[in-house]
Amino acid sequence: MSAPAVSAFQTQLERLGRVPDLVLSAALLAVAGLVVYGAVSTEGFLTVSNLKAILTATAFVGIIAIGMTAIMISGNLFSLSLGQTAAVTAMFFLYSLQISLGAAIVLTILLGCAIGAIQGVVVGAWGANPIIVTIGAASLLEGFAVWISHGHSILPPDNATSYTHLARPLGGIPFGIYVFFVLAIVVDVLLRATRFGRQTYLMGENRRAARAAALPITLITTGAFALAGTCTAIAGVLIGATSANGSLLLTGTYTYDAIAAALVGGTAVTGGRGSVLRTVAGAVLIATVSDMLLLRSYSTGIQILVKGMIVLVVVLLMGVRRRPR
Amino acid sequence: MTVRDQVAKVRVGDAAREAAPYLILVVMVLVMALLPSFSAYDVRTANVYNVFQNFASLGLVALALGMTIMAGHFDLSVSSMYLLGGMVAVLTGEHSATAGIFAALGVAVVVGLVQGTLIARFAVNSMPVTLGGYLILLGLTYVIGHSKSVSYSNYQVGIELDKPIAQIFSIRSLVSLGLFVVAAFALHYTRLGRDVRAIGGDSRASRTAGLRVNRLVVAVFVVSALGAALPGALLDYSLATATPTTGLDVLTFSATAALIGGVSLAGGRGSPVGIAAGVLSLSILQEVLSVVAAPSYVSSLITGGLLVAVTILWAPELSHWLKTVGLIRRVDDEPLAGPESARPPAAGTGAA
Repeated sequence: MSAPAVSAFQTQLERLGRVPDLVLSAALLAVAGLVVYGAVSTEGFLTVSNLKAILTATAFVGIIAIGMTAIMISGNLFSLSLGQTAAVTAMFFLYSLQISLGAAIVLTILLGCAIGAIQGVVVGAWGANPIIVTIGAASLLEGFAVWISHGHSILPPDNATSYTHLARPLGGIPFGIYVFFVLAIVVDVLLRATRFGRQTYLMGENRRAARAAALPITLITTGAFALAGTCTAIAGVLIGATSANGSLLLTGTYTYDAIAAALVGGTAVTGGRGSVLRTVAGAVLIATVSDMLLLRSYSTGIQILVKGMIVLVVVLLMGVRRRPR
Repeated sequence: MTVRDQVAKVRVGDAAREAAPYLILVVMVLVMALLPSFSAYDVRTANVYNVFQNFASLGLVALALGMTIMAGHFDLSVSSMYLLGGMVAVLTGEHSATAGIFAALGVAVVVGLVQGTLIARFAVNSMPVTLGGYLILLGLTYVIGHSKSVSYSNYQVGIELDKPIAQIFSIRSLVSLGLFVVAAFALHYTRLGRDVRAIGGDSRASRTAGLRVNRLVVAVFVVSALGAALPGALLDYSLATATPTTGLDVLTFSATAALIGGVSLAGGRGSPVGIAAGVLSLSILQEVLSVVAAPSYVSSLITGGLLVAVTILWAPELSHWLKTVGLIRRVDDEPLAGPESARPPAAGTGAA
């Protein structure tokens, strides 16, 4: 391509960069319109029990998505092992209930933090590709889980009932929702108002500049992944308490739902932009759409398909919106 | 260090890197060949046949994924394209298996064109795009299969495909091996290989040098979808059933095979012959594990561990880091990285 062609190409890109703000707003309006239309036209959607069901579904995915957001903001794309981390920590929680509820919660969170931190060290210290590392970690987590549990489901000890409080609604609202909102506020403050948080944003925006500014890349990356592991372990505790039957089946589609929630909230997959509070909105939206599809008795396939479409459209819109450097 | 020393060092590093896939393969072959001499397990011709059957099932996916990595991208959607290819072939190939294969390949071409065009035109990172693609194709597989396993009544096709040829091969494995040979020739003797590696090494420079980068990217993603759909279709004929699952096993296997086959995640490096060596090594490993009747989690642990280990070995900042902690702590290198990164390269989980 000749020089004038290159500059013409750049002008075109810049023009593209301006239009999509409109496109993005239009797309958001369209989505909002669809959701409202769906809400009004779907039978049984606007009922108290259904709204509670949406909130319950939001809690688990949302808590994991908070962690996913930290990884995305730090510029490390996303983790493909958070679903497995949730399942493994849920299994561990149910197993360690034999000590005591408090100890089980603390140990589970520590375990999740460690699982995340180790992946963070690998990615941060050596610049290893986060996607591949987390795919490998997912495989390792599955292997360890089957090995240690001998392939059996993990049931809570017979005499333990304390954990059931975590699965019971509080004041009519699922307990997980409180955890979700409190955690969202805490992590949002952590990322906005602390030195670690601002360094995370900076590193995500420009890793080279962060290195040049002598930011502790390894430490920040480890922190972001450890935060993701911690959030996921908190979700793991709630998931374990709710299902009371721990196995790798709990992995479900948490990984992809969390990525979708963070992306839909507008957190950039390339890092540096986004926020936990936006992810909260994204998680609610994803849960609402899933719920609507479920009420209209669409199959699992359609649900996965729709989530995929949402991810694709959001990624493309965000990609176009990004200004050329 | 003089420039000459540095150049010499890079050459040694390169040579080690080029030789690594074949060294790993030799070790694996030796392990399998010598298995009877240090254990009670017997290794027969049938086991060699199984190795090539493993190769047939996943080899082309590793080749396809390897091509996208060489070109500086990554196709997360291969694992569901594999399932979708099988499902389409089983559903449309009831009367004619060939028609089913062509239907699967047709779908793959469309998928590749769409994904490749979106990635090239919008200049977005291929990981999130192909993640969306992964979900969409997985959803489609569930939808057209009505969320169930679909059986293929034409059993004869599978029996034909897997009938031993010269004791150790089958039509299925010969198709895979043949396509590897074609790919090796195409990438070695035509401009294609150089061009793909060029856009993987530096896409902007390649564009300036006059390469049609966008077209190449689209082509690579079409090849990637085809490489996933064909073995998926053949495997489902051989199993006489197509099943929708959400697992990432296909992706884990093929990524590990491509990476131990010498494909660099930084793009611009790798060859079909190296990938073939990587796939063969993993195929032998799987067969050895099944000969010694190892439980299935051992395979997950070894594959996951290998994947993380290779990613670390190939990581761009590893040598920089080794310098930092090994000798002197320079001011411009992450001052806080010392104590905590001094841990051994743990394999990515603390579950133990």
